[in-house]
Amino acid sequence: MLGTALLDWAIVTLAFGSTVVGSYVGYQAYRGFRRNRSRPMQFLAVGLFLLTAVSFVLAFVGSVLLRQGLLPLVYDRPLTLVTRAIQFLGVLFIAYSLHQRP
Amino acid sequence: MSEDWELAEVLDLLSDEYARSILAATSVEPMSAKQLAEQCDASLPTIYRRVERLQEYDLLEERTRVDLTGSHHKMYSATLSEFSMDLEDGGYEGTIERVSRADFPGEDETDTADRFTEMWENL
Repeated sequence: MLGTALLDWAIVTLAFGSTVVGSYVGYQAYRGFRRNRSRPMQFLAVGLFLLTAVSFVLAFVGSVLLRQGLLPLVYDRPLTLVTRAIQFLGVLFIAYSLHQRP
Repeated sequence: MSEDWELAEVLDLLSDEYARSILAATSVEPMSAKQLAEQCDASLPTIYRRVERLQEYDLLEERTRVDLTGSHHKMYSATLSEFSMDLEDGGYEGTIERVSRADFPGEDETDTADRFTEMWENL
């Protein structure tokens, strides 16, 4: 169905967009860390990358593998769990960065 | 680069403890006069006098930074990277090497990271 295909496409595009923009912010945080030797920025950068790039790549590659049948469907939920765990780790890093003193 | 300065005057300037402290502090990161006064344990007028003299010899550069509240303040950063003096053939020759602009690649971009850092650290 065209409607479903369009919806899928929109979902992937938006997820990809969040990843690109999130990684850009993470990159600026990383530069802030390098330039100012700032520990909070180091944690912020790691957190943002986990939250955006890492979890997106994992979810995207995983769903492609599942659809292609290269990965048995029983891995569907464990994969979601791992992705959510990485996102949780990401926000933990960001929260921790707020309490780090430079 | 044409050097238009007197060796004795630069030596005199660099013999000053506050002038050296200002250069040392601003070689790490740009600082305002107020931050320098704190860092160098000197009064603001003292800082301004040294800053003025350092600028005369192009050892310190000045940039205006606009903060989030919209107020402007001047930030100083050291441009001096090396000062040397040679004795040869009965005469002294001083050489000043400055940090070149190329040492700050993509200055405008890095401002984003610095602003971001400052903002995040102050949350």
